[in-house]
Amino acid sequence: MTSNIARDAAATDGMRRASGPGTHGTSVLLQDLSRTFGATKALDGLSIEIAPGELVALLGPSGCGKTTALRIVAGFEAADGGSVLVDGKDISGVPAARRDMGMVFQSYSLFPNMNALDNVGFGLRMRKLSGGDRRRRAGELLDMVGLAPQARQYPHQLSGGQQQRVALARALAIEPRVLLLDEPLSALDAKVRLQLREQIRTLQQRLGTTTLFVTHDQDEALSMADRVGVMRHGKLEQIASPDELYERPATAFVAEFVGVMNRIPGELQGDGMVAVLGGTVPVQRDSGADACVERASVDVLVRPEGLTMQVVQNGNGIVTTRTFLGSVTRIGVLLSGDVTVQIDKPSSQAAALAPGTSVAVSLPADAVLIAPRL
Amino acid sequence: MAAITGPRRFGLSASGRQRTSKPVIWRWVVLLITAAYFLIPLWSALRFAGISAFGSVIGFAGFGSSLWLSVKLATLTTLITIALMLPTAVYVHLRLPKVRRLLEGITILPIVIPPVVLIVGVLAIAPGFLKSSDLLLALEYVVLAMPFAYRSLDAGLRALDLKTIVEASNSLGGGWITTLWRVILPNLRTAMLSAVVLTVALVLGEYTMASLDLYQTFPVWIYVNSQASGQVSVAASLLALFVTWLFLMLITVLATRQSRKTGGGQVTLFAVTRQETRGN
Repeated sequence: MTSNIARDAAATDGMRRASGPGTHGTSVLLQDLSRTFGATKALDGLSIEIAPGELVALLGPSGCGKTTALRIVAGFEAADGGSVLVDGKDISGVPAARRDMGMVFQSYSLFPNMNALDNVGFGLRMRKLSGGDRRRRAGELLDMVGLAPQARQYPHQLSGGQQQRVALARALAIEPRVLLLDEPLSALDAKVRLQLREQIRTLQQRLGTTTLFVTHDQDEALSMADRVGVMRHGKLEQIASPDELYERPATAFVAEFVGVMNRIPGELQGDGMVAVLGGTVPVQRDSGADACVERASVDVLVRPEGLTMQVVQNGNGIVTTRTFLGSVTRIGVLLSGDVTVQIDKPSSQAAALAPGTSVAVSLPADAVLIAPRL
Repeated sequence: MAAITGPRRFGLSASGRQRTSKPVIWRWVVLLITAAYFLIPLWSALRFAGISAFGSVIGFAGFGSSLWLSVKLATLTTLITIALMLPTAVYVHLRLPKVRRLLEGITILPIVIPPVVLIVGVLAIAPGFLKSSDLLLALEYVVLAMPFAYRSLDAGLRALDLKTIVEASNSLGGGWITTLWRVILPNLRTAMLSAVVLTVALVLGEYTMASLDLYQTFPVWIYVNSQASGQVSVAASLLALFVTWLFLMLITVLATRQSRKTGGGQVTLFAVTRQETRGN
């Protein structure tokens, strides 16, 4: 697969030259979108701006409204309120067939009666390209996704990963203004998923196609996207670059949804400090401290790599588990008050931390996120 | 190792042979009883009619006109049924999935309601111009064919991820007519053939409605002529049976061949099974 990606580079470069500026340089603006299904608010004032050539991932739990947002952009759903602007033009009233957006679906969406070449050429046929041009261009696209030898095969003769690659080629063949990806990897096994996400990202960057990608898999979102929008209850909790999202989550929900997060009981002090693990640390601004009353019991949110630990006699915790993760080892520590935290240590230093070892767990003086006690 | 893997590979272990031999025998017993049930009456009919009766069938008065009427009715009924049922089934699958069960219930009604009741109702409300036209019987047959045609189309639609492929077509620029013509219909070809086969078979064999409506269709002609010449009537029945069977087999074989090419499985009259994608 890696060799495919390398080999595809030349083909995609050729395509980009041939396709001209129409394939990239498109901006998308979702403005105050709302959508209700019965009593459920799927979208509640969602606004996102996607820059030309950017890949934005919408991440969130099931039912958070991310797919609804994508379907509204595609034209398969109508918003109750708000608008979708592409290059500054409101396309809310434009039918899906005329939006010029390529879409890859979660389920296998190839037309069963057409072989791979005809599937990729379908959108080109709709654009009235002659048979020869259509076959040539569809062939180029199949070559780009490394499936030229499978051009004459029907969908049922292709594996799931191959089908999704054909679907990607089909979506890109029409040189869409915007590429929409609706959890395209979720039906695939872990290995194929990893390969295909690399390929999608490589192609997207080479073609410079503005892309909206919906997923519930944080690894996918963080590894592929320029920016990740975390959604909850139809609203955007935070949209930021992957590293900012991980290191400086705006809310407790984002902090816990993205990556592993420890909850350690603490008590909010009056001066923007929180007492935790026998010391006091500052509370991060905008982390919900305003909503908590002084002296309130809160949970302090800390990443596994944000805690320090030393082997001591009669410490405040006891090692309970040790999980090897490669370069780091995740240590489970039982603190007083029946609270278990996860702490990451370099694997080279984890040998001494056998289950049953007494340790002292502490927090650096950095500002922390807090959340109401569960 | 070879001694262990050999029998397993071919599924011929001693215990396996013992386990599978019993059901195989029973399968043959059931098959033979069923074959006898169907074939003995046919064999008796053939012996009763004699080979010479087949030659005189064509010369009998009314043979050509009644056969032509039946073929005409079969064609008309099939066209109306497909024109009504196909868009309905597609629309319900796409836009009104909750109504599907209700529609299934409605389409069963013609099986539950006796034909006599249907005819009395139809004759009471049918306008005059219809009563003197072949169209009346064709419309009644459409009602009769509805359960079979709907079920065939429904099976075909269930085998497709209709919503996704329609949306995929739309996103690529395909309008509704293009999507129906280039995407939905080719994938429903097998299901449509099943619907056509069942409708044609039903019309070619239907007696009660035609008789009560005073049409001389082929089955009615066979019955009427059984009074004049039992042997010719039986020969005509066998001939009709054989031709219909041949027609059904031909369509089933053609449909299965087409279906295998595009990933569908074995085609039966009521089900279209789709082959699964081969792994990830």
